Amino acid sequence: MIDFKNVNKTYPGGFHALKNINFSLQAGEMAFLTGHSGAGKSTLLKLITLMEKPTSGQVIINNSDLSKVSYSQVPYIRRNIGMIFQNHNLLMDRTVFDNVALPLVIEGLTPRQIRKRVEAALDKVGLSSKLKCYPYMLSGGEQQRVGIARAIVNKPPIILADEPTGNLDPKLSLDIIQLFEDFNAVGVCVLIATHDLGLIARMKYRNLTLTQGKMITDGLAVTEANE
Amino acid sequence: MKNNTQKTSPSLIARLLSPIHQGQQLIASFHDLWRTPMASLMTILVLGISLALPATLHLFSKNAERVSAQWQTAAEISVFLKMSVTEASAQNLVQRIKLYPQVQQVRYISADDAMDQFKKLSGFGNALSYLDTNPLPITLLVTPTQRHSQPMAAKALLEKIQGEREVEQGKLDVEWLTRLEAIMVLIKDIVFALAALLSFSVVLIIGNTIRLAILNQKDAIAVMKLVGATDGFIQRPYLFTGFWYGVLGGLLASATVSVLGRYLGLAISSLAELYENQFSMQGLNLQELGVLLSIAVFLGLLGSYISVRKHIRSIEPNAD
Ligand SMILES: Nc1ncnc2c1ncn2[C@@H]1O[C@H](COP(=O)(O)OP(=O)(O)OP(=O)(O)O)[C@@H](O)[C@H]1O
Ligand SMILES: [Mg+2]
Repeated sequence: MIDFKNVNKTYPGGFHALKNINFSLQAGEMAFLTGHSGAGKSTLLKLITLMEKPTSGQVIINNSDLSKVSYSQVPYIRRNIGMIFQNHNLLMDRTVFDNVALPLVIEGLTPRQIRKRVEAALDKVGLSSKLKCYPYMLSGGEQQRVGIARAIVNKPPIILADEPTGNLDPKLSLDIIQLFEDFNAVGVCVLIATHDLGLIARMKYRNLTLTQGKMITDGLAVTEANE
Repeated sequence: MKNNTQKTSPSLIARLLSPIHQGQQLIASFHDLWRTPMASLMTILVLGISLALPATLHLFSKNAERVSAQWQTAAEISVFLKMSVTEASAQNLVQRIKLYPQVQQVRYISADDAMDQFKKLSGFGNALSYLDTNPLPITLLVTPTQRHSQPMAAKALLEKIQGEREVEQGKLDVEWLTRLEAIMVLIKDIVFALAALLSFSVVLIIGNTIRLAILNQKDAIAVMKLVGATDGFIQRPYLFTGFWYGVLGGLLASATVSVLGRYLGLAISSLAELYENQFSMQGLNLQELGVLLSIAVFLGLLGSYISVRKHIRSIEPNAD
């Protein structure tokens, strides 16, 4: 589902953010991406979502080599990836409902289908009551969950999350991770970048670790040991 | 891969809520114009005035053409006979000229009639009656047939008439006709050049207004791209906006032209009365109004399309 082959990323200005990254994530797999601040976690996720281009190497998502994806194809690749980022990327002048509905509107679903799916997604993140609120009326954690609802509402085969529990209390964090587990259980590939080592320690998922742009472990040995 | 082939449909900036139909979107985008009333108003005004200018000139040249057509068909040749020609031989000449195939009608004006008319028109009145003899010759007014009333043909006829031995002099005022025709061609060229130049600036102005609208919505566009909106999807409401600029600008131009046309018409018909000429100003007809409106809409769409192509592409989502 996600394949990195000898991927390097050097930012304009010369900072070498990712160094020869190799790993692959199968469909239906769930993994954490950890590392110190500045290790390159967000950079790696940006490569998957075509927000940045690798300086060298190949990123293959869902059997498409991203270096061969034309500009006009980018949106269709992105529709297969539910993205949750550190900034919530919400439309501030739109209600919670409208924000979550956006991916479905883009795909051209009927109003009835949209309403049903949006309500289900908001229910999953526990925000059913905030349907008509605007993002500025919500707390940081609530905004985060609106972002999560938007990422899952069109049932993408891949979900990426950058610090999804950053603003949440431990109880809510666990709820959210369990939500990702639910998606994973129905075959969605989930990759979560996080600092929250305590949270990871309690679970037995694969853990990819970056240090200064290098992947020091791709977590495979650990998973095998666990099985 | 799912949905790769699925066409996207409705717009966000217009209305997010539901995938409403294009028609509803169009109306929604009409309301969006009033979110930035000043910018919209200025754009519509510029569009309207820019189009009104060449359209009014067109109206002018169209009416001038009609007037000259009237005069041209009524072209008459004034034939002044030699003073020595008697009334009988003059009548004889009238009969001969009437037989010309190019001639439709010949009017005989005796020297006395000519004098009366001259007295009336010149205002010298009684002063002229002190003259011993009538200095005016017998005059024939020859009207060519329709087919021979064009300047070239009429000139040929004139020469033929001048060949008659009773004729002192014939006069056909074709000079001013040809001059008028040249002026008309010039005006048409000016209309065209002016229209082209103004259209160009209109496209630039609409493009700029749309550019500002896009930059205003930069963050929202980035978010839409993040969740997989195609450029086509994002640009649709802006194209609708351009469409409305075109429609409103076109209507404004039409209104301006008809007001100007009516005003001009009043002035001209009072002038025409002085020349005993029946003249009524003709406004733009339905077809011309249609063309004007279509050009306005086309320019609106073109301006927004160019802007949208350029500026939406350059907005990229970011994660930080
Ligand atoms: N657009 C950019 N231009 C230049 N350098 C950048 C850019 N984005 C990130 N970097 C650098 O790349 C490095 C990795 O950044 P990245 O955001 O991937 O780290 P991270 O692991 O996500 O950190 P954090 O846990 O703090 O979010 C950082 O040192 C950062 O300064
Ligand atoms: Mg980061």
